[in-house]
Amino acid sequence: MRNRINFYLLEYVLHSLWRQKSKTLFIGLVLTLLIFLLSALFFIASSIKHELAQSVDALPEITVQKLQGGKHTNIPSSAVDTILSIHGVEDAIARVWGYYYFQKAGVPFVLVGVDPFEEQYKKSLQKIVDNYEISSQEQMLVGRGVYEIFKEHHYEESFNFIKSDGSLYTLPIAGVFTETIELESNDMIILSKQSAREIFAMDADMATDIVVKVANPEEIAMVASKIQLAFPDARIITKEALQISYANIIDYKSGVFLSLFIVSLFTFFMIIYDKLSGLSTQERREIGILKALGWRVELILKEKFYEAALLSFVSYLVGVSVALFYVYILHAPLLRNIFEGYSVLRSSFHLPFVLDFQTLALLFFLSIPLYVAASIIPSWRVATQEADEVMR
Amino acid sequence: MNKTTKGLFLFLSILLFVFLGQLGYLFATQSVTQEAKEKKQLFVSLTSLPDLAIATEADYVRHRSMSDYFSLFKEGPLLREYFVSTYLYAPSTQYFTARSYEK
Repeated sequence: MRNRINFYLLEYVLHSLWRQKSKTLFIGLVLTLLIFLLSALFFIASSIKHELAQSVDALPEITVQKLQGGKHTNIPSSAVDTILSIHGVEDAIARVWGYYYFQKAGVPFVLVGVDPFEEQYKKSLQKIVDNYEISSQEQMLVGRGVYEIFKEHHYEESFNFIKSDGSLYTLPIAGVFTETIELESNDMIILSKQSAREIFAMDADMATDIVVKVANPEEIAMVASKIQLAFPDARIITKEALQISYANIIDYKSGVFLSLFIVSLFTFFMIIYDKLSGLSTQERREIGILKALGWRVELILKEKFYEAALLSFVSYLVGVSVALFYVYILHAPLLRNIFEGYSVLRSSFHLPFVLDFQTLALLFFLSIPLYVAASIIPSWRVATQEADEVMR
Repeated sequence: MNKTTKGLFLFLSILLFVFLGQLGYLFATQSVTQEAKEKKQLFVSLTSLPDLAIATEADYVRHRSMSDYFSLFKEGPLLREYFVSTYLYAPSTQYFTARSYEK
């Protein structure tokens, strides 16, 4: 290694960079900023993708929704029996869930009715709920974001839901979901199916939709087609479709950002290329003098390579390090607004860290080789000319 | 190797140390542990609902996969990009992909 690096040349490079310090600083700053923005977006996208991929395994294989006039409507719970009679179906559960708009805060909550307050569920619920105190069916478990909103509006112990007839339905808060599952549970309220039906004014024999578990993944498509045949007005959502949907969202949307940033990166490199193509008299004279002193073309190019590689490598390291700190320690202020939109109920955006070498490599190859090429090619053009011609 | 070159190597070493140190620190403290993964899966299996509670301003954004055609248009068909996050959270194309098994 020691033999390969020409230290005298490296010293010359450092002095050369120092001589043009304002130019070096400007290019370094712009390149660092571009790498920082691109890597911050990549990190957020890959963390969200990772989080979604983790939860998708726990989802039921098929969801059956009834459509009426293209609109989602309640499905009779009796459809469960028909679905259970299909060969290959392990379990089918009628689900009661929906949105409750808390007008005072302008926040929609997701209300999910379950029957988990029975003994067998208590143990698992205790793992994901802080201060768990379920004593009856008439209670609810809330996400951290929901609890914060409740507290802001002085509902610390219980909350009054407004039913469809205008009367109040009070439910005590039995616990808050732990911070670990905040990204999943922030806006959710888990309550008994009976309470959910009461709030949504739903008949006891109706459900929002039906989730179907299929033991053999090979049979999902067949089971889905049989359900479709039995319920022609139903919309069947398979887990596979959800996975495709996730991939579409994250890859496509972060791809849009990537293409935007590639445009800005190329613009940056074009400016560099253009600027270096018309090397300043000072720089041309410098190359001319070096040639007159006996420097070979390859040595001049090596010097330019050291210069560009050093500048872009430092920019890469700084840009990626700052992006890591910005996304995972500061939780991406400003940039998170793009992902959260106008949501009133905001999570703390604690994204899980994913060591994604692919992203790091992509950023590396997007920045360093391109910049090196953009600065070497114009220098090569000048260096191949005769020394007196260059200096003239 | 003179003072300047030594300074450069020291600077690069510090940068590399900060970069790798940060990667190591984040990997050790902010990665998803097996316990956290189990908790997340437990919650998702309890609710059976997909998607993350990041964009919650409208139901078609919150549970894109579960929303119907009308959810998209209830603010008016031309207001599809009314919310900033719809730019990142487009409604699902699952309806079409879910039907692909019929072909």
